[in-house]
Amino acid sequence: MTRLRIDLQDLLFGLFLVAVATGTLVATRNLTVGHAADMGPGYMPRVVAFALMGFGLFFTGRGLWRMRVGIAPVQLRPLLAIVASVGVFALTAERLGLAIAAVITVILASLATREGRLVETIAFAILLSGAAVLLFVKLLGLPIPIWPR
Amino acid sequence: MDLFNNLLMGLSTALELNNLVFCLIGVVIGTAIGVLPGIGPIPTVALLLPFTFGLSPASAMIMLAGIFYGAQYGGSTTAILVNVPGETSSVVTCIDGHEMAKQGKAGTALAIAAIASFFAGTMATIVIAVLSVPLSVLALKFTAVEYFSLLVLGLIAAVVLAHGSVAKSLAMVLLGLLLGLVGIDVSSGVARMTFGFAALSDGLDFVPIAMGLFGLGEIIANLERPAERRVVSQSIRSLIPSREDLRAAFPAMVRGTTLGSVLGVLPGGGAALPPFSSYALEKKLARDPSRFGKGAIEGVAGPEAANNAGAQTSFIPLLTLGIPANALMALMIGALMMQGIQPGPQIMTEQPKLVWGVIASMWVGNLMLLVINLPLIGLWVSMLKIPYRLLFPAIVLFCCIGTYGIANSLFNVWLMMGCAMLGYFFIKIGVEPAPLLLGLVLGPQLEENFRRAMLIADGDFSVFVSRPISAVILGVVVILLLALLSPAILKTRKEALAE
Repeated sequence: MTRLRIDLQDLLFGLFLVAVATGTLVATRNLTVGHAADMGPGYMPRVVAFALMGFGLFFTGRGLWRMRVGIAPVQLRPLLAIVASVGVFALTAERLGLAIAAVITVILASLATREGRLVETIAFAILLSGAAVLLFVKLLGLPIPIWPR
Repeated sequence: MDLFNNLLMGLSTALELNNLVFCLIGVVIGTAIGVLPGIGPIPTVALLLPFTFGLSPASAMIMLAGIFYGAQYGGSTTAILVNVPGETSSVVTCIDGHEMAKQGKAGTALAIAAIASFFAGTMATIVIAVLSVPLSVLALKFTAVEYFSLLVLGLIAAVVLAHGSVAKSLAMVLLGLLLGLVGIDVSSGVARMTFGFAALSDGLDFVPIAMGLFGLGEIIANLERPAERRVVSQSIRSLIPSREDLRAAFPAMVRGTTLGSVLGVLPGGGAALPPFSSYALEKKLARDPSRFGKGAIEGVAGPEAANNAGAQTSFIPLLTLGIPANALMALMIGALMMQGIQPGPQIMTEQPKLVWGVIASMWVGNLMLLVINLPLIGLWVSMLKIPYRLLFPAIVLFCCIGTYGIANSLFNVWLMMGCAMLGYFFIKIGVEPAPLLLGLVLGPQLEENFRRAMLIADGDFSVFVSRPISAVILGVVVILLLALLSPAILKTRKEALAE
C-alpha cells in the first residue's frame, strides 16, 4: 500500500463506467430511440448509458482530485489459475467429457495456492471427478457426456 | 380467521412428505455452507437453481429458503468455536461467543445461539404471516405506475441501507439494469447489445453472473490473503444452558428478534445489518457494558436472534410485492421466474399455496435446524477441519458444472469466467457487487412497467406524482435520498456499518 496523489479505486471505477457507457452507446447507435409515450428498443439503453456516463465522469474526476491510498497489489497466481481452470472447463467439458474435464479443472484451480501437494491434489481431483459424475450426471440427470466422444 | 386458515393451508403444504424432504435438504446444505467460511448462500443458491427446474415451485422455494436461514445457524457455530465468521452475519457473534468458548462455555454459547435463532425464527414466521395479508391487499391496487415507483423505491432503499458508498452502489444498480437490457426487446423484437451472439438473445442468465461475481471473484480475493490457521480446540462439554444463562439471554433474544424483524423487512435489509444493530443496542442497555467482549451471553443471544429474524422477514417484500430486499432475494425472484411464476403483487392471490407453504416451511425448517445443530454439532465441527486448499477447487468445479446446467450451454461458463474477473476487479476497487444483481433481475420489469405507465399516461411523466400511492412511494424515495445528504445521518450510518 502506497500513498498516491490520486484515488486509484475511484479513478479505475470511473474509467470502467465511462468505457461501459461508451460501448453501450456505440452498440445501440442503430436502435430506434422513440420518445417516452412510444419507447423504441434504444430508449432504455440510452437513458441508462447516459446516467452511467455521468457517474463515470464523476468518479474519474473525484479520483483525480482526492488523495487516497492505492489498491493492494494484484497477485497473478490465484487470478490466472482460477480463470484458466474455468476456461479449460469450458473448452473440454463437451469434447473430453465431464470425468476428464473435472480432473483438469480441479488440478488447475489448485495451482492458485502454493500450499497444494501434487499427490494429494491429483488424488483429490479424481475423487471429486467421480463424485461430480455420480451426483450431476447419474443422480441429477445433467445431459453432459462422461467420456470423450 | 383468515390468517389461521392460511397458515393451516401453508402447514399442509409444508408437511407434505416431499416438501419436508426438500426442506431438510435445504437446511442441511445451508448449515454446511454456513459453517464453512468462504462460501456463502448466494453462490450456493445460484448453484442449486438449475436443479430445481424439475421440482414443483413450492418445493423449490422451500429448499432455497432453507439454505438461506440455515446458513445463519451454521455461521454462528464457526464464529463461536473458531473465531472466524462462517457468514458475514455472524461477525458479531465472534466477539462474545468465542470469548465464552475460551472460558470453557462453548456448549452454552452454541446452545444459546441455537435457541435464540429458533425463538427468532418462530416469531419471524408469525410476523410474516400477520403482515403479508394487509400488504398484499394494498398491492392489488397497483398499476404499472405504482409498480414502477415501487421498483425504484426498492432499488434506492436497498442501496441506501446496504454497505458501501451510496454513489458507487447507485452506479452498480445502473450497471445491472444495463446488463438486464441485453437480449431481444420484448415489444419490438429487435436484438439489443447481443454483439451477434445467438446465446445472448434471451438475455443474460443471472446465475453465471452471480456465481462469477460472488463465488469465484471472492475465491480469488481470498487466496491473496495469507492463509489463516484455524484451530478448533474447545471440547464441548454441556449443551444445556443453566437457568441463569437463559434468564440473562431471554430479554436480549426478544429485543434482537424485534430489531431483526423490522430491519429485515426494509429493502437492503436481510441478515447482515440486524446483528450489528442488536449488539450495539445490548451494549447500550447493559448495566455493565464492560462485560461485552469478555463473554457476555447477551452479546450472543441478541445478534443471533436478530440475524435469523432478519433473514426471514426479508422474504416479506418478496412474497407480497415481488420486490427483493437484497441480492439473495433477487435470486429467489429468478427462481420463481424460471418456474414460470411472475413475481409481483398478484403472487399472493394467485399462488396462495406456494406463499403460505414457504412461510409455514420456515417454522418447520427452524425446528429441524434446532435438532440438526445441537445434537449433531460434532459433525459440523469435523467439517471445519477441511482445509481451504481442498475446498476452493471443489467450489470452482461445482460452479462450472452448475452454470453449464442452467441451459446446457458452454456460453454461460465463459460468461461466468468473465464475471469472475469482473468480480475480482470490483473487490480490488472496493465496490459492492450486490446492487448489480438487484438491477439485473429488476431491470426488465422496470423497463416493462415504465413502458406501460408511459402508455397509460401518454408520455406524461407527471403521472408518477399525480397518483396518490405512487406519489407517496416516490416521496419516500426523495426523503431517503435527502436524508443521506444530512450530515448527522451520514455519520450514524457510517458508524452503524463500520462497527
